[in-house]
Amino acid sequence: MIVVESLHTYYGNIHAVKGVSFEVKKGEITALVGANGAGKSTSIKTICGLLHPRQGRILLNGEPIQKLEADRIVRLGVGYVPEGRHVFPVLTVDENLDMGAYHRSDKAQIATDRERMYETFPRLRDRRKQLAGSLSGGEQQMLAIARALMSKPQLLLMDEPSLGLAPIVVRQVFEIISELNKGGLTILLTEQNARSALKIAHRGIVMETGKIRFADTAKNLRENPVVQQAYLGVG
Amino acid sequence: MNNTSIFIQTVIGGVGIGSLYALIALGYSMVYRSMGLVNFAHGSIYMVGTYFGIMWYAGLVMGLHVPYPIAFVIGVLLNGAFGVLLERILRPLAKLDLMFMLLGTIGLGYVLDNLFVIIFGAEGFAVRSPLPSMPLVILGVRIQPQMLLVIGVSAILMVALQLFLARTKTGKAMRASAMDRDIASAMGVRVNRMNALTLAIGSGLAAAAGILAAPIVYVNPAMGAAVGLKGFAAAILGGLGSIPGAIAGGLIFGVLEAISAGYISSAYTRGIAFIVVVVVLMVKPSGIVGEITVEKV
Ligand SMILES: Nc1ncnc2c1ncn2[C@@H]1O[C@H](COP(=O)(O)OP(=O)(O)OP(=O)(O)O)[C@@H](O)[C@H]1O
Ligand SMILES: [Mg+2]
Repeated sequence: MIVVESLHTYYGNIHAVKGVSFEVKKGEITALVGANGAGKSTSIKTICGLLHPRQGRILLNGEPIQKLEADRIVRLGVGYVPEGRHVFPVLTVDENLDMGAYHRSDKAQIATDRERMYETFPRLRDRRKQLAGSLSGGEQQMLAIARALMSKPQLLLMDEPSLGLAPIVVRQVFEIISELNKGGLTILLTEQNARSALKIAHRGIVMETGKIRFADTAKNLRENPVVQQAYLGVG
Repeated sequence: MNNTSIFIQTVIGGVGIGSLYALIALGYSMVYRSMGLVNFAHGSIYMVGTYFGIMWYAGLVMGLHVPYPIAFVIGVLLNGAFGVLLERILRPLAKLDLMFMLLGTIGLGYVLDNLFVIIFGAEGFAVRSPLPSMPLVILGVRIQPQMLLVIGVSAILMVALQLFLARTKTGKAMRASAMDRDIASAMGVRVNRMNALTLAIGSGLAAAAGILAAPIVYVNPAMGAAVGLKGFAAAILGGLGSIPGAIAGGLIFGVLEAISAGYISSAYTRGIAFIVVVVVLMVKPSGIVGEITVEKV
């Protein structure tokens, strides 16, 4: 589905992603894990077009997309759930979902999809006329996910979906991610919570200071003693 | 004529002038909100918009005298188109420090002012009102018909703007991209286009203000300086970036100015209103309305 080839991304002089290559296979969940500042968010933002690499390529179904702007990439079927949720605070829940469907013009289908989101996330339905900024952190996370789904993505990028949420909400979020994947959605997610992420993922990539340290099936990573010790809090 | 009617008359005059300041203030606030840019060329853009409309009405183009409403629409549309061009010019400035924005936009204002001196001459001219000049007398209160037109048209424009921003898909996308540029673009919004639209609307409103004001002021290429400054003060007074704030700030500023001119001295008009702005901001730096931010992380 998506192939990343020796990607280098900078913030001015800061070299944040240093030659990263990996693949996200169709129908799978791939987890990008690593400590603070490893370059996970930078990689995700480079894929969705908010940042542009200085070197390297990103192929979506074989087509290079690394030069395209974010508003083009979402039209190609790449949805983005940002780190820290970033719902539009002074738009209502309904309006946030409509923004997710901004590039679509099938009005009737959008309305149907919105109702479907409310079935998946019933807590949002009760708050549909409320400003998104007044929701709890967990509700905002659900909204950020639902908003991205409204764009009808084939690939969903999720940056730290469990960040700052209560443990019970974290569990819910990971369940939803699994469900979405079972429904056929390909997912690339980043997590500091490597343990939970590698439980639901098919494959994992471990990043360290801008480079890939390990890339393997999630199962192998879970059993890798180095990963266990450094990232899973075992040993 | 008793004291009450004089007071009411003064306030109505203030609301009229204040509506014009509000239209100008909206331009500052909308552009600030969406681009993070303080556009000090806005006063000059107001002047340009006035000419874009009035030149058709006052016989400046091949001696034509098109009806006022048509000249009004042409002026607003031309200045709106000019706003789209401005977005291209101002885009690089929006990424820079305040100091560069200041220099860049003030410089742009000078260029426009001087360009219009070259084209139309420094000499100004008076414009006759399309309405009768006899004041209406209602319950002893005398009102200029042009002032009623100013208030009515400004009110319609402000309501229309609110409806556009609140109800339409494009209006919502404009608000979303002002809230979070990156996320809006990740939703498929072409943020530069939204900025262009914002500048088009701001410039169109400035043209509307200028064409409405033309029969009560003196049209000349330097006319934007004072009004631009007052519109900016009004935007700050209401809370820069806030749309209701710009409207409230404009009206308050206009009424203050009218009252101080009517009751104290017109020589101090400008000073008194500005002093009030400074005092208000010392008490409440975010302006009267301030930014409505509902944030919870
Ligand atoms: N806007 C920015 N400007 C400059 N440097 C940045 C910026 N954003 C990130 N960086 C730097 O780039 C590197 C990678 O950051 P990134 O946000 O991608 O890490 P991350 O793996 O997502 O970390 P976290 O787990 O904290 O979210 C860090 O060294 C960070 O300081
Ligand atoms: Mg991150």
